Amino acid sequence: MSSKRRHEGYILVDHRESPGVPINPAMIGKPDAMLAAPGSLLESATVTCSHCQVVVVLNPLRTRARGYCQKCDRYVCDNPLCNRDCTPFEAVLDRAHERALKGLAVGQVIVP
Amino acid sequence: MAMYSASIPTYTTSAIADTTNITTQTFVAIQGANTTQRNKITEVYVGGQATSSAPQYLLLARDSTVFSGATSNGVRQAALDGSATAPGSLALTQNVGSTTLPQRSATLSLLNLTFNAFGGIVRWVAAPGSEISIVGNTASLGEVSLSGYTGTTAGLVGAHIIYETV
Repeated sequence: MSSKRRHEGYILVDHRESPGVPINPAMIGKPDAMLAAPGSLLESATVTCSHCQVVVVLNPLRTRARGYCQKCDRYVCDNPLCNRDCTPFEAVLDRAHERALKGLAVGQVIVP
Repeated sequence: MAMYSASIPTYTTSAIADTTNITTQTFVAIQGANTTQRNKITEVYVGGQATSSAPQYLLLARDSTVFSGATSNGVRQAALDGSATAPGSLALTQNVGSTTLPQRSATLSLLNLTFNAFGGIVRWVAAPGSEISIVGNTASLGEVSLSGYTGTTAGLVGAHIIYETV
């Protein structure tokens, strides 16, 4: 049985020998603040939104349900447009490719 | 088909707003070789080389204006597999730009790589089947660039992007 974890990528932010990045005071204490503090190592799974190809760093402390498209059987990002309809980005690319092969302008393909 | 590494040993980043010409030699861009070529980005790595604190807000994003007319290039391309069969045309990689410099799309940012170039390292690897795709060589699907967003402190970094021409 396949797992949805097969769609997970990987991100590494290594600040073990670095001062890290300045912390935005507004983000302190917020569960969504995924920062690699000075002297720390951040390793996390990522998912690529099936509908727009944005890469999302997964927050293990998140309690809200993650966007998921049953038609694609893939995760989607929190963008409301990506959670509304199923338009796989691969299909957008296929349409763009098809237009290019026909000599039509690719830029007219609508990107979510 | 073959997988390639587009790498640049060292360059200085800069802070560039969206939909603004990205300063020459402060970015790495990959563009399809022709109107129909498809490429998939599977890995992005940036290693800090700065000698003092330099926070980087690097974005891998689609470009709303694609580069053209470059006369020199600091990006090196090498096949990962020595025995790989090369495609008819390699993807175009660029860090200079000439006639037209690339401009990052204001809406199509794909990956945020925030780290400090003073001793920091950042690396992203896509899951198989979830790579970032490029189609053709025109905006906005035909080019992806790695550049510093507003607030980035200019700093020395080295980077590579691994992609596959399909």
